[in-house]
Amino acid sequence: MKYLTIDTTTKVTAVALAEDGRLIAEGFLHTAKTHSERLVPMLEQLLTASDWTLQELNMIGVVRGPGSFTGIRIGIATAQGLAQVLKLPMIGVVSLDALAWAGLGRTEDIVPILDARKNEWYTARYHWMQGEEKVDCLTPPQALSTDRCLEYLKDLERPICFVGDAVTKAKGRILEVLGENAVILPDYVSLPRGAYTVRAVWQRWQELSIGEQVRPYYIRFSEAEVNWAKKEEARRKQEEGYKGHE
Amino acid sequence: MGGIRLGCECEVTDRQKDQVIILGIETSCDETSAAILVNGTDLCSHVISSQIMTHQKYGGVVPEIASREHSLHFQPVVQQALDEAKVGFHDLSAIAVTYGPGLVGSLLVGVSGAKAMAYAAGIPLIGINHLEGHIYANFLHNKDIEFPFLALLVSGGHTHLILFEAHGQYRVLGQTRDDAAGEALDKVARTLGLGYPGGPKIQKVAEEGNAQAFKFPRAMLEPTSLDFSFSGMKSAVLNTLNSANMRGETLSVPDLAASFQQAVVDVLVRKALMAIDQTGVKTLLLAGGVAANNLLRETLSKTLVERNIRLVSPPPLFCTDNGAMIAVAGYYHYLAKDYAPWTLNAVPGLGLV
Ligand SMILES: [Zn+2]
Repeated sequence: MKYLTIDTTTKVTAVALAEDGRLIAEGFLHTAKTHSERLVPMLEQLLTASDWTLQELNMIGVVRGPGSFTGIRIGIATAQGLAQVLKLPMIGVVSLDALAWAGLGRTEDIVPILDARKNEWYTARYHWMQGEEKVDCLTPPQALSTDRCLEYLKDLERPICFVGDAVTKAKGRILEVLGENAVILPDYVSLPRGAYTVRAVWQRWQELSIGEQVRPYYIRFSEAEVNWAKKEEARRKQEEGYKGHE
Repeated sequence: MGGIRLGCECEVTDRQKDQVIILGIETSCDETSAAILVNGTDLCSHVISSQIMTHQKYGGVVPEIASREHSLHFQPVVQQALDEAKVGFHDLSAIAVTYGPGLVGSLLVGVSGAKAMAYAAGIPLIGINHLEGHIYANFLHNKDIEFPFLALLVSGGHTHLILFEAHGQYRVLGQTRDDAAGEALDKVARTLGLGYPGGPKIQKVAEEGNAQAFKFPRAMLEPTSLDFSFSGMKSAVLNTLNSANMRGETLSVPDLAASFQQAVVDVLVRKALMAIDQTGVKTLLLAGGVAANNLLRETLSKTLVERNIRLVSPPPLFCTDNGAMIAVAGYYHYLAKDYAPWTLNAVPGLGLV
């Protein structure tokens, strides 16, 4: 089974071609250009270089978040557009699940951290299951303040392997809090790669053995929704307060 | 979602080789829309999914929410447009998509999706300037429009007077220096407590008002300038309201709405006439959301008939953002073989050159 994977949820544009879980071709761009400018040209180059055509594909996998809101939508719109024309099934995977594959074979817990701005990370915790050749999710995806995340991991008192686009910037702080329990991988391993998406997509395809409707996975509400909910909450409390006086 | 089914004027059967079939896609603001257009005038399907209800509680379009809505509705809207026209991707000659101006996140959903579809179908991708799209809405029912013509584009984001010499050859003669006409109407509507979207609400309330009740200024700027300025006119309404409040008086909202609408229309009409005099063109095209305003349409049509100038304006449905106008503009770009590269990006601040 031949498939294509797309990941544009961070600043890296990662595209890959694969067959039955095996990586065939991989594109990785971490340049200043936008996903919109890089994505289809990169796909075209990979197809040409591997002597593949779009028509040979049997499935399309895409990373649906969390990550950059705009990036999530570019990836999904592109994957959907291709799948709609080629009439192919789609598979959507979580960015953190895909990144966990960067820790293939490791004995430590694997913790992807993605820059979520506002001093927060999108993060989760995984464990590599020896023998079963897959990752197991121990703590589900969430948006967490960097301090709370590190405190939580420190309290676990066990070795943690960090991956993700927030690692480079947070390296000093991680080592400060976790000391010897922290394992930091080089960025060419820990940034999102097509190779990881290929594995995560294959795992999900084998679980489902059918395509799925892919929806963005933002974790966070938009700011306007959050502010509106806060206002509503305040208004409701005020109303209840008045009732209390009656 | 609110996928609206619109008039289907033809069905693509007995497809001939010389037919040009364009899929037009629009996602620049708060409408997700797609249309199938054959040979520039036969609109076979037209689907518009509006987000107005979603944004209403925020009092205006929230960019991130708009992008999220586009992301959910884009694919079904395109599929519905294809299904209703009974065409597949491989029947298409090209896909035309708005790439600016607009909200960057919203534009990127349409650009990314359209690009992937065109690439997979092996057909050209055409990038359309949204403003040009509004003007080309006029060609849908009037393929015979003669060059040169003048276009008055009036919307929530733009107030432009543009001279067209030929397809794709145009020059901006004047534009707003502050608020767009539609923006001023929206802001005044909000101040008067009429809600969002403001233009249609003002028009409705103004029907019961006296347009002569208040004398708001008509900003004409320098004697020969074709530029506009609406922010002073808007402030005049606010000042009138404030001083009445201080005196403890209540003013008639219909009168205020009618008088302000009259002032905006007066300026638009006067500037359009100045531009016609300066250029000597024989045709004026009206375009953009505010082009649906009845007072503007009626005043222009009366004035231009007297001067023997042809006025062309799209039916109200094609004045607001829609995929059909993008398909029409796409048709003329297709004839000129003006295709976009696979690197096409969204340009939120795209202007008219
Ligand atoms: Zn518009």
